[in-house]
Amino acid sequence: MIAELINPYYLQVASFMLINIILGISVYITLSTGQLSLANAGFMGIGAYTSALLTIHFELPIVVGIIAGALVAAICGILIGIPTLRLQGVYLAIVTLGFGEVIRVVFVNWETLTNGSVGISGIPHIGREILSTLQGFGFNPSMLGLQNNQFIFLSIFTLLLLVTIFIIWFFRRQHSSRVGRAFAAIKLDEKAAESMGINITYYKVLAFAQGALVAGFAGAMYAHILAYISPADFAYHRAVEILIFVVFGGSEVIWGPVFGAFFLTLMPEVLRFISEYRYMIYGLIIIIMMAVRPQGLIDVNMLNWFKRKRVKGGHKHGAGNQKGM
Amino acid sequence: MVLEIKKVCKNFGGLSALTDVTFSINQGEIFGLIGPNGAGKTTMFNLITSMFIPTSGEILFNNENINGLKSHVITEKGICRTFQNIRLFPQMTAAENVMVGEHCRSNAGVLRSVFRTKSQRQEETKIRETAEELLEFVGLSDYSEVVSENLAYGQQRRLEIARALASRPELLLLDEPAAGMNETETSDLFDLIKKIQSKDITVLLIEHDMPLVMKLCDRIAVLNFGKKIAEGTPEEIQNHPDVIEAYLGKEEDELYA
Repeated sequence: MIAELINPYYLQVASFMLINIILGISVYITLSTGQLSLANAGFMGIGAYTSALLTIHFELPIVVGIIAGALVAAICGILIGIPTLRLQGVYLAIVTLGFGEVIRVVFVNWETLTNGSVGISGIPHIGREILSTLQGFGFNPSMLGLQNNQFIFLSIFTLLLLVTIFIIWFFRRQHSSRVGRAFAAIKLDEKAAESMGINITYYKVLAFAQGALVAGFAGAMYAHILAYISPADFAYHRAVEILIFVVFGGSEVIWGPVFGAFFLTLMPEVLRFISEYRYMIYGLIIIIMMAVRPQGLIDVNMLNWFKRKRVKGGHKHGAGNQKGM
Repeated sequence: MVLEIKKVCKNFGGLSALTDVTFSINQGEIFGLIGPNGAGKTTMFNLITSMFIPTSGEILFNNENINGLKSHVITEKGICRTFQNIRLFPQMTAAENVMVGEHCRSNAGVLRSVFRTKSQRQEETKIRETAEELLEFVGLSDYSEVVSENLAYGQQRRLEIARALASRPELLLLDEPAAGMNETETSDLFDLIKKIQSKDITVLLIEHDMPLVMKLCDRIAVLNFGKKIAEGTPEEIQNHPDVIEAYLGKEEDELYA
């Protein structure tokens, strides 16, 4: 029954959707201190290459590789975050965009390590790894009535779903806390925030590092799902694509990039005929959104409206006062 | 002596905004800093809170030199300010604005915030309670969930004071708190600043509303073109010839005498 419904292709699309959601969140985190980073495609690449090379050359377990990839990306995030502290708005965007390109050029030219523009193939596949581990314990997908292929993609999807839920949970909690208030204060008025005793250097670098960590993690997952990466995967196009998720969905609340990535990954799959014109449509979306709804589709007011509606319907009291996140 | 300003100069390129300004503020007093527009009053605030670094001279807070410290460190040490052009966090509620003010008196980091440890939850409850208390103190307890940009102008000014008080300052710097207020609001502000003084907080006040300054301040320093021209009690200042000249200009026959 279930077995017929599980289509590896759909699961693959769903998995990439989740990776895109994670990437969208990575931009949202940095942006929640008012810093627009276009370097997240670069951080994604750093995570992907680090994890791929460690697992291939040192035969480390994939988990170790992914964690190392995310951490190396975070360290690069700190290194780029500190010198760019003084930059704001479009200047920061230009510098981070440049950084992303530098990363790509390093991947292309450091051929002895990265295999140049040919890319790295034969990266351990996370789904197959999970399957072979479980088979070591005497498990067989046919016990669930699944084929090996189905099980592999199902396990990847489940893993990513759990991680995505964890990331959303983590940053929602962070948002409604002392740290989240400091982020928001810096975004709204940096000088006033500093005068109120907030160490803006620390929190801005923290946000940058967190964004890089999450993007690096997404990159490492990407490498182990596709089993093949090349510098082109982390180029300018990717940076813009991630940005679109946030611009379209909204950057005020975490649900913005989640919805943006969900919708914009799904759209080309459902409407196959437009997938060739994807970047044209992305460009149009940016222009229209900037003119009509610069804060993105989902914003605080919209969430509050939903909440009030729910409160009215359920005859609950008190919850309507709380500001949405 | 809470604050001592010793021979402070500040140059912006060739322009000297402050020249050899010296004054000191005693524990528990309300000290007024007045002067015509462009005299360097706000520059003095920016130097005390380290938004600018003085070109020369020393600023001592509780006998400790605070020149060149970061602004947030100064707030931690116990100096907090309000701004001449209101700088609240516009999209936050009144309560959230005050809660941000408590930042340096709390210490939950990322992990404690996310995993909601017991100490973090207690701290968060306390932050909330203190915020409500401070809002009540400045008379805004009915507006705690109102987004601050929707508050009336006078309310925003009082909210800014509440936010500054949240950092538990020893010395509070108020930059033209009565600007744009009507008479009733100004007299409420008078009561509020007196109440702040009674909480053992020293106040340094920049203000153009002379009746308010004269009624409120224990001592006053007058700046003109970046120089201190007078210092003393309100009576002394009111009768000081240089101050009258700075505000009203010279009599014509005096000029040619």
